[in-house]
Amino acid sequence: MSHWKQVRLVAAWEFARYFKWRDQVLGLLLFVGLSALAWGVGKFASGGRRAMTVATSGIELTPRPGSRLRFVEAPADSAGQATLLSGGDAGGILTRSMDGTFELKVEKDPRYLPELRTLIADVVRQERLSASGLAESQLVQILAPPELNVRFTDPDRQRSGRAERIAATIFLGLVMLSVFTSMAYLLTGITGEKQLRVTESITAIIPPQAWIDGKILGIGAYAMANILNMVAGGIVLAVVARVTWGFTIPDIIVRPGVIAVLVVFSVLALLLWNSAFAAFASTIDDPNTSARTSMMFLPFLPVAMTVSVLRDPDHIASRVLALFPLTSPSAMPIRVILSNPGAVEIAAAVAILVGTIWLFRRLAGRIFEIGMLMYGKEPSLREMWRWASARGVPPA
Amino acid sequence: MHSPHPLVTVSRIGKTFAGQRAVHDLSFEVHRGEIFSLLGPNGAGKTTTVRMLIGVIRPDEGRITVSLEGATSTALPPTLTAYLPEDRGLYREIPVLRTLVYFGRLRGLEKDEATRRALDWLERVNLLDRKDERVDALSKGNQQRVQLIAAIIHRPTLAILDEPFTGLDPLSQEFFLGLVHELRASGTTVILCAHQMDLVERVADRVLLMNRGREILSGTVEELHGRLDSRAHIRLTLEEGTSASVLQDDPDVDELGPGANGEPNEAHVRLRDGSSVSRFLARAVTRVPVRSISTEPPRLHDVFLRAVREDDARIPGARP
Repeated sequence: MSHWKQVRLVAAWEFARYFKWRDQVLGLLLFVGLSALAWGVGKFASGGRRAMTVATSGIELTPRPGSRLRFVEAPADSAGQATLLSGGDAGGILTRSMDGTFELKVEKDPRYLPELRTLIADVVRQERLSASGLAESQLVQILAPPELNVRFTDPDRQRSGRAERIAATIFLGLVMLSVFTSMAYLLTGITGEKQLRVTESITAIIPPQAWIDGKILGIGAYAMANILNMVAGGIVLAVVARVTWGFTIPDIIVRPGVIAVLVVFSVLALLLWNSAFAAFASTIDDPNTSARTSMMFLPFLPVAMTVSVLRDPDHIASRVLALFPLTSPSAMPIRVILSNPGAVEIAAAVAILVGTIWLFRRLAGRIFEIGMLMYGKEPSLREMWRWASARGVPPA
Repeated sequence: MHSPHPLVTVSRIGKTFAGQRAVHDLSFEVHRGEIFSLLGPNGAGKTTTVRMLIGVIRPDEGRITVSLEGATSTALPPTLTAYLPEDRGLYREIPVLRTLVYFGRLRGLEKDEATRRALDWLERVNLLDRKDERVDALSKGNQQRVQLIAAIIHRPTLAILDEPFTGLDPLSQEFFLGLVHELRASGTTVILCAHQMDLVERVADRVLLMNRGREILSGTVEELHGRLDSRAHIRLTLEEGTSASVLQDDPDVDELGPGANGEPNEAHVRLRDGSSVSRFLARAVTRVPVRSISTEPPRLHDVFLRAVREDDARIPGARP
């Protein structure tokens, strides 16, 4: 039987071991239900948000559209103002003194202060310009905002940068989720088989490399299925919201090329971390007592490093991170979204990543070959390195 | 008579773990159609030897040659070999039939063929009605049966069974013994590692006894009996309620122990080298009420104990 046929058999077996339609449907319902609940609670909370009334004296303010601020005329006497404030009918009393200064009397921290400050500044600016004796037409000309047209060299990028960022962030979050899901199943899958003493029976039939490759692919596919389930849940939620509440789906028109890059890098990220973690998992005797399970958090590190790419995607450090195999799965998609790295750079990053995955899976196969029969003792990192670099291991 | 080309030839293999020699300079041949047994105390190196045979670990020195279907190689082809490891288990949460089909497919069978054979086997071992149950719903004995089926579902040319009788009740042991006979009858060569000497004695054609990673004795069961123990073994059955303990001080008695069945009125007597059976019996019948007397060949168990003790005695402190 060929290597890849063995890998396919193991991958299908591993996928089928964990994938249960009933669990997927239940998971989908749970996701949709909880999301709807969270959304409903949020909507209720925002819908019931109390408008903030500010009583004003000596200035006429008009709230901006969508603002929660509401303005009423403040009583002239201080007793009336105090009653208004203590009775909760106003959150603040804004008064203007003769010298033009303003005073805001409040009982608690005015969280609307920045907005109020802007409104006051606008009104005062207009008052001062009016007092300067300029004609109405001149005032209009002065106050009119300058026109600024943004022209994209690539018209496709014009559509919705913010939506792309949001979509990419969600996508990267899902990828991280799939990586951790996958690693958790690899941990339980490999250590569980060691504890059940299944490993020796299997690896007497097929080479350890075929077994580890099959596990990486099968469990990775299961993790992807979970993520697709969540995406399906998101679509269901959006459709339900559209039908019932007239919710309009935001304009997250992401270019197909960007989607392709995100998909490729997320799949490669999954394979990369699965390969690395398979090696660690095969040296763990008991996951309940092993300190080595903390290696599961390793993928956080490169993701944290790529935060700098968000700030300046074209900096030399960002370009290096987008090529370095441990960071490229998160750094290159960010660069693709926020900049224009070019096909050569993307292809180079993919090539380096694929090469690293190939190397990792070979190392995992070698470490697994020896680690699988070790019971009661976990090899040191030095020993693992010695096994991984040992000669004489037959090729897969 | 063995064929001139053994199925498996092991030449001076050795394996060292962390400075400890697990197997040292071990050589043997396994011939087609025979049941070859590897015996030895715990830590003798049997499992390491088997793992080297199966290719799970590689020998540090020496060579293993396999001649199967006219071709010679240094590895046992999985599609022609069965392996039941000592440390064995199955996927607990998976149904029985699905497990067997998976193992069959890993051995190169098509899905339909693997299913057909699995169902045949399950019927033979009276587990057909439980084919859709999870493996962990079965008793330990039944799980062992499923494990054995998983190992031999592809009708191997060579089966390596490491401690197949461990943890089984006598009925299941007999069942497994029958299967081993059946495997041989169908042309499968069997390499058997086991601690149960009485069972090995009943089934093995040839035996290799290991201690501290080396061969200390090998040959047919009869050869071993004769080579190591020429002393007479006598089984006495006494009247109910009596004991043979008074014979302990007989000058011809080397060892007095319980009979094979463990009945209190049965005794197994081993005479000293050169002792006369008739002289001993003449004295014995006057001292204890004997109902019946039979002579026994030396048991493999005794051969095993004596060989290992003699080997250990050469290295003081080798075994407590």
